[in-house]
Amino acid sequence: MQDFTLPDQSGAPWTLSEQGTAVLLVFMRGDW
Amino acid sequence: MRIAVIDIDDPGQHAAMVEKLDLPFPMLSDPDRTGAIDPYGVADPKDPRGLAHPAVVLLDAGGNERFRFVSRDFADRLPEDGVLEAARGLGLAPVGQDAPLPGVPAPGARAIPLDQLLPYFRGARFAALAMGLRHRHVDASIADDSKAYVALMDLYVGILRDRRRPAGDS
Repeated sequence: MQDFTLPDQSGAPWTLSEQGTAVLLVFMRGDW
Repeated sequence: MRIAVIDIDDPGQHAAMVEKLDLPFPMLSDPDRTGAIDPYGVADPKDPRGLAHPAVVLLDAGGNERFRFVSRDFADRLPEDGVLEAARGLGLAPVGQDAPLPGVPAPGARAIPLDQLLPYFRGARFAALAMGLRHRHVDASIADDSKAYVALMDLYVGILRDRRRPAGDS
């Protein structure tokens, strides 16, 4: 697993390895 | 299974998107693409801004990659049925997901207001339909692409119409 921590929409850190369950990562282009 | 969306936009843009679409999952910012976009190999090498291809990567509870779909281009999307089928195939049970924290909405200059999304998707639908009909005799794959895109736009239009419909009005 490529673990990572990124800020969510509130600015709070979100860490993949802390989810404790299956996760669907949805990559989007953004720029909106 | 939990869901997280990742792109290059900042938290303010994401807060605006979560609010506008009432999204039940978080949106994560990876502006320099080093957190997840590059490590998961979904950056579009042809895009001068380094935007990600639309893609989904399903990880099981152990962090093992169990499913991946990377779009051919910006207009390509995996229908949600495909994702759900993959998740069910892995025997993943639904799990609760906390509502995303609201943040401070600051939509980008290119953000489309909610009330403009329905005509936007309807226009995209008719354009795709017209291109498919116009060129179907040239290349059957064009007709197939058109059909898939029209179906996707129908899905989006249906979702937006359902959101506008008053509760209890079926």
